[in-house]
Amino acid sequence: MAAATGVAGQSEWEVAVPEKPLKDKTYFENLKAKVIDTNLCSRCLTCAAICPGGITVVGNKVDFPDYETKCLDCGACVRVCPRFVYEPKSGLGDYIEFIAGRSKRFAGQDGAMVTELLVSAIEMGMIDRGLFAGRDEKWATEMFHVREPEQLAITTLGGTKYTFADVLPALKEAVGFTKRGVGIVGTPCIVSGVRKLQQEYPIFRERVKLVVGLFCTENFHYGDIGKFLQEKGVDFSKLIKTDITKGKFIATMSDGEKVKFKIKEVEEIVASGCGVCTDFTAVESDASVGSVGSEKGFSTVVVREEPAKKVIDFIKEKEHADFGEAKPEELDYLINLKKGREKNINSDAASS
Amino acid sequence: MKMKSMKKVVGPEYNLGDKIKTNVYAVGVAMQESVYPHTATVFYPRERKKMPDNFRGFILFDPDKCISCFNCSFVCPANAIRMKEAPNKRYYPTVDYGRCIFCHFCIDSCSGGALKATKIHDVAYKDMDAMFTPTEEMIELPEIIREDKKYVEYEIKEDDLHLKRTKGEDYLFVEVPPPKEIPMVSTCIDPDSCIGCRVCAEVCEHGAISASVEDGGTLRMKIDTDECTGCGLCVKECSMQILMLNKLERK
Repeated sequence: MAAATGVAGQSEWEVAVPEKPLKDKTYFENLKAKVIDTNLCSRCLTCAAICPGGITVVGNKVDFPDYETKCLDCGACVRVCPRFVYEPKSGLGDYIEFIAGRSKRFAGQDGAMVTELLVSAIEMGMIDRGLFAGRDEKWATEMFHVREPEQLAITTLGGTKYTFADVLPALKEAVGFTKRGVGIVGTPCIVSGVRKLQQEYPIFRERVKLVVGLFCTENFHYGDIGKFLQEKGVDFSKLIKTDITKGKFIATMSDGEKVKFKIKEVEEIVASGCGVCTDFTAVESDASVGSVGSEKGFSTVVVREEPAKKVIDFIKEKEHADFGEAKPEELDYLINLKKGREKNINSDAASS
Repeated sequence: MKMKSMKKVVGPEYNLGDKIKTNVYAVGVAMQESVYPHTATVFYPRERKKMPDNFRGFILFDPDKCISCFNCSFVCPANAIRMKEAPNKRYYPTVDYGRCIFCHFCIDSCSGGALKATKIHDVAYKDMDAMFTPTEEMIELPEIIREDKKYVEYEIKEDDLHLKRTKGEDYLFVEVPPPKEIPMVSTCIDPDSCIGCRVCAEVCEHGAISASVEDGGTLRMKIDTDECTGCGLCVKECSMQILMLNKLERK
């Protein structure tokens, strides 16, 4: 049958159905039993992105209200979950280039270099939209589709938030809209989610062109970190920046006041999924960015794949950023720290 | 630059004979108009102007043809159309005539041909709230008290407007011949990206899409091209947006 639009369509096709460990339960119940209830879940929301029903976040956990009636039992959530069959990744991985960069156009901590990468990719025509995590007045994350560099005048798009953002559900939406490609930024768990989506579904393989990972030790649920900071006397209406450096969590206010405390204090409220995560540098990403390993003001950029290399070359050509030396050995401490969490996975699996 | 000399405009000079002649003509026209008035006024409501067939008036609705695709409410530039849940769990349009700008985009976009135009332009409401017309009131014509015994058509003769009155009532429905249908059929453009959620099979009103699980863990999806009417509901509902309407080419 010839198609009117030049795209060949098929009226018969087959879909592989994944296997169920618990035979008489729905796929969501399988996911819940194996990932969510065992605290393996990283809250990357890959399942929520693909679910045609209604997987969403309730409180701090991924849940599916009324799954008894609404779950279509298609198995998509199980197919894309990076931790249903968990293959923990760690280390630095292979890379083409290991450099330090400082954006001339954007200000901020590591966010500036990430913004530079995505905006340059938009300018060179590789992608037509980038997904940015912004925040509202109460520091809850919101997703923004950035299609023009001018849109970055919204200052809340830069800066680290230290709470989870619903990146992947927004990615699904962006993939539907895009003409050329989508670029996204995410923590290592989000990057794993994207790779899993790309592995399973060609639509993501073709349309997600640039995946930028962030160095990540751990992340916090919005409710928990909000309550914790309020107890420390942080006023959200004045808060402009959060940062973790040298074992200290620093919250900066608009009037210059700084609230500092040791990172050990926040360990109690670290999200449970981070306890089993061994990936510090987002090994699967096209390029990953973080502050560790380079001088003050610079961000370390680990270029792993060809698309990211092209973007870096474009930035060098246009001189949008300064580049310098970065030291891979400075990352070793945190890489090993996260690698040490491997033991948590086995004990969790044994208890389930 | 040399100015042209201006010309003085002088009125015509009438002699007595000319004056009597023009006055008698004027009296003649006045008498003619008093006996057989030559006005362009339509004496509504005793007579109505015959509206052309492409007149955009009150909108009628046929629930049997509606596929609840929401196209009318999406396309409405004035946000006059809201979809409301009917007792049979289907969503049907309602029109707020306080907002409606009578562009009839809804009728043009209606994929099932459920919305129909009429020539009714004179529906009265007591207040703004009454202008909200629920689905039930759109199925039948609104109650009209008709006093008209004839309808009027305009015709232009010798650069002058004339009225042509015909006895009888103007038919207020618009009978538009159904458009020539291009047979469309739903097809999957990216089978590898199908997540197998079977939403398409569930929403299909004609049972054209079947999903069966075979031994060995594969789900076989099939669109029956003979049953598919090309309504596009599955294309709209597909969560991966991989279904597409294509022109049906029969062998």
